[in-house]
Amino acid sequence: MKVTYNWLKEFVRIDLAAEALAERLTMAGLEVVALQKQAGDFVFEIEVTSNRPDCLSIIGIAREVAAITNKKIRAYSVERRAHSKGRLYAKRYPLNANILKINIEDKKGCPLYTAKIIKDVKVGPSPAWLKERLELVGCRSINNVVDITNYLLFERGQPLHAFDLDRLAQNAAAEIYVRRAKEQEKIVTIDGEERLLDKGILVIADKGGPVAIAGIMGGNDTQVSDGTRNILLEAAVFNPITVRQARQKLKLESDSAYRFERGIDWGAVGPASACAAELIRTLAQGECILAKSSGQARAKQKSIRLSVADTNKILGTKISPARIKKILIGLGFKVAATGRDSFIAGVPSHRQDIKAQIDLVEETARIHGFDKIPTTLPLLVPHSLRPGKRELVSALKNMLAGLGLSEAITYGLVDKELLNGFMLPDEPEPIGILNPLSREQEVLRPHLVPSIAARIGYNLNHQQEYVNIFELAKVFSSSASGPKEELMLGIALCGTKAHLLGQGLVKERFGLLHLKGIVEVLFERLGVGSCAFHAKENAASIGIYAGTERTGEIFILRKELLERLDIKNKEVVAAELYLDRLLAHARPAKTFVAPPKYPGITRDISVVLSREVPIKKVLEAALERGRPLLCSMKVADYYRGSQIPPGNIGLTISCFYRSGERTLSDAEVNPVHSLICRLLEEVFSAKLR
Amino acid sequence: MDIGAVKIQIESDFQNIGSAVSLEELRLKYLGRKGIIAQLTGSIPGLKKEERAAFGQAVNALKKRAVSLIEEKEKSFADSLNGEGAVSRPADIGLPGITQELGHLHPLTRVIDEICAIFMRIGFSVVEGPEIESEYNNFTALNIPLEHPSRDAFDTFYLNNRLLLRSHTSPVQIRAMKAHKPPLAIVVPGRVYRPDAVDASHSFMFHQIEGFMVDKSIKFSDLKGALEILAKAVFGQEIKMRFRPHFFPFTEPSAEVDIRCIICNGKGCSVCGRKGWLEILGAGMIHPAVFKHVGYDPKKYTGFAFGLGIERIAMLKYGINDIRLFFENDLRFLRQF
Repeated sequence: MKVTYNWLKEFVRIDLAAEALAERLTMAGLEVVALQKQAGDFVFEIEVTSNRPDCLSIIGIAREVAAITNKKIRAYSVERRAHSKGRLYAKRYPLNANILKINIEDKKGCPLYTAKIIKDVKVGPSPAWLKERLELVGCRSINNVVDITNYLLFERGQPLHAFDLDRLAQNAAAEIYVRRAKEQEKIVTIDGEERLLDKGILVIADKGGPVAIAGIMGGNDTQVSDGTRNILLEAAVFNPITVRQARQKLKLESDSAYRFERGIDWGAVGPASACAAELIRTLAQGECILAKSSGQARAKQKSIRLSVADTNKILGTKISPARIKKILIGLGFKVAATGRDSFIAGVPSHRQDIKAQIDLVEETARIHGFDKIPTTLPLLVPHSLRPGKRELVSALKNMLAGLGLSEAITYGLVDKELLNGFMLPDEPEPIGILNPLSREQEVLRPHLVPSIAARIGYNLNHQQEYVNIFELAKVFSSSASGPKEELMLGIALCGTKAHLLGQGLVKERFGLLHLKGIVEVLFERLGVGSCAFHAKENAASIGIYAGTERTGEIFILRKELLERLDIKNKEVVAAELYLDRLLAHARPAKTFVAPPKYPGITRDISVVLSREVPIKKVLEAALERGRPLLCSMKVADYYRGSQIPPGNIGLTISCFYRSGERTLSDAEVNPVHSLICRLLEEVFSAKLR
Repeated sequence: MDIGAVKIQIESDFQNIGSAVSLEELRLKYLGRKGIIAQLTGSIPGLKKEERAAFGQAVNALKKRAVSLIEEKEKSFADSLNGEGAVSRPADIGLPGITQELGHLHPLTRVIDEICAIFMRIGFSVVEGPEIESEYNNFTALNIPLEHPSRDAFDTFYLNNRLLLRSHTSPVQIRAMKAHKPPLAIVVPGRVYRPDAVDASHSFMFHQIEGFMVDKSIKFSDLKGALEILAKAVFGQEIKMRFRPHFFPFTEPSAEVDIRCIICNGKGCSVCGRKGWLEILGAGMIHPAVFKHVGYDPKKYTGFAFGLGIERIAMLKYGINDIRLFFENDLRFLRQF
């Protein structure tokens, strides 16, 4: 909303310079977002919040200026400009009331409709002052009559519309209908566009059909043009929701719709219309011969009780009753005291936003000044809610960063195409968005890996040798009970990382075992007892299990996916873990086990083993056989190369023997170790080296 | 050959060596098959009988000394390089240190953690809520009626006519108040969504932190105090702030909070739009209508609430000029945090 300094001054005396006024308005809730010196005036651009339609006018801002600076508002500025004193509202237009009939068929959509008939207007260009004013507030000059209606819209916040009376269908009398449009009815609006209407849209019509879309825009056929002689001047109140719905349906914005949608001041209808008629008389020689109105003349007056004690309790202030009273009176409320501590405030017609005591508390605080409210600290009664998952999630993120991965944050909405090739066989369709603006916002993602793998492509194309990233975010899927969201951890690794170690440069190509290592550390740190990986038959993915529950997947991205994600000559391994399922297995609480008292003995076995034999099974069987002296088995080294026959792997397995009761001797360990060696040879066809 | 001279030579040779390679050379020089000690031993038969015993003993002492010097040096090389075959590398402190590379948390995570930590220090709890929300929690219960222009500030993605992607974190207020009785002091971090075309300052997904407190005597002045703690903790003790009246449907009185522009210190610059102030958050006293929706008695309880955009705070804090950088996930960006 734009207002000018000089225009405001017609309604209120201003002793402040423009900059100072801007500051005061901003601090009273009317934020001045721009201030410009222009044509000997200052233009203030003010951000008016949606609860203050009364401030979508010069007079509204002037009222605020008056309240902030303790001045009185002057009511009728246009009169002075038109050199016509008084009489405006007393004047009657009794002539031949039968020449106009107003029929309101939808009283909810249009509670009040007023019209004036003005004869013998001389349509022509507006005087310079009028053109300039309109230009300063961002409105193009059309002709004197249209400019006058716009002038009053900006000055009073009351949208007006002038019809060319002679272009309205009439017999003996002009007939105006305020009604719902019929299905498929059409109108060409003044912007030259044909609009298709329906039953939801309120129109102004004559006998022949719609002549205006109520509160939004007039029709092309009946608009005031150079040849216009007689006019019908409309000033009405339209229902905000009716106007809003029509505006949305027609995708048709206008200054008029903007104001009706927020609610206009019933009290402004009469004065705005009278001022317009008076201006038309002075600037276009038109004579008003009839004024007629139909509907409810005024909105209901509200009175609200305000307690001084409540006000100060909510604000944390000690504002005196006298100060509160003065503030409210300054804002145009009619204030009556009801005892020492409370007032009854009569709400002026332009403040439809004031509905309850809290609204008056806000008005008091706003004009008193937020800066005058003290700064205190709340008395906090510690009441700690269970921390939920957040702490574990935070710990997980730090673990992953400790393992060298960086955190990515990607969009929860994705292009459906991105998911191609990632969806599991029996997975439901991803949840769609009804109103996406682009394909990138089409569906809610059921997986994290596609998004983070796409980020790998991006980074490889920006000179990264390797990318190791993770994301912790919600994924979405539909279920019988409706949409479901679950917290997921996604990890993706790609490329070759070079470490400079003591023995020199070590190049490490990220692969499946790196991913496995990361997952195992997370399981261990979260206290999830067992971590297992099982490849599903005929599936490209490997399941990650906590106990027997599948908690996630490992993906090795297929070639066509890599190509689509712009990843060239590299392998990507990725994992997804459903955190809620995982955390259900987490036992972060630790139980102490005393460190062993007696030393153990390590014996290594080197074997050549067929690659068909799962190593996990070998270790489990050996451990079973070697109990109780054999405490643990682990792969100390593995090797595939020229010295190992094809299809085999060279393994060094460390067997650790220990007793809780005594230091073991070779004589005790040797027979058990022989058993293990024999087991490897006989059951798993391993060749000892 | 003069035994005395050899003795001095040995000491100085071993003194001056710097690597295992030269140690091996010295071993060959003195103890090799044709080394000095062997030569000296070989010269014994040519000596006079009475000189042989003393000479032999001197050569033996020399040999012992060489062996012990070699052992000593080997040990010291092994110690300095921490053993294992690395003995050939010089331990120059100018070379890169050997370490594990750490990953980086996203800057948005860092800002969220920082702000949550500030409020947890003064007794707030962290609560989170779902991203798919009901129309009721996202709007109606927050006093944003259907068909009201105040909804225009919240363009929203819909899944169907009942469910949507939350366009702010405020619905978690409703959830938390329905689940718990006052007193409550809660902060809510989370992702929110609004249909917006992506550019340098707009994103269709972004992050907010909501904070609110409800009890029998929570005042607007308490809101000012709590937010002052926040602003000072995030932007420094010297930061100036101001509360400007504003409108939000779910709070009344409502305020927007500005800090003195951290770029120009109030003189006016392009970042603050020449205003000298930067808007950082919205806040206010929880509207009685919201209390009615969650079954709290608005005569008995008051509360404050505030919400801020994490991207905006992170952009100001780190001087980031394009919101898209947060979601591009360029490692050259992420590794700076």
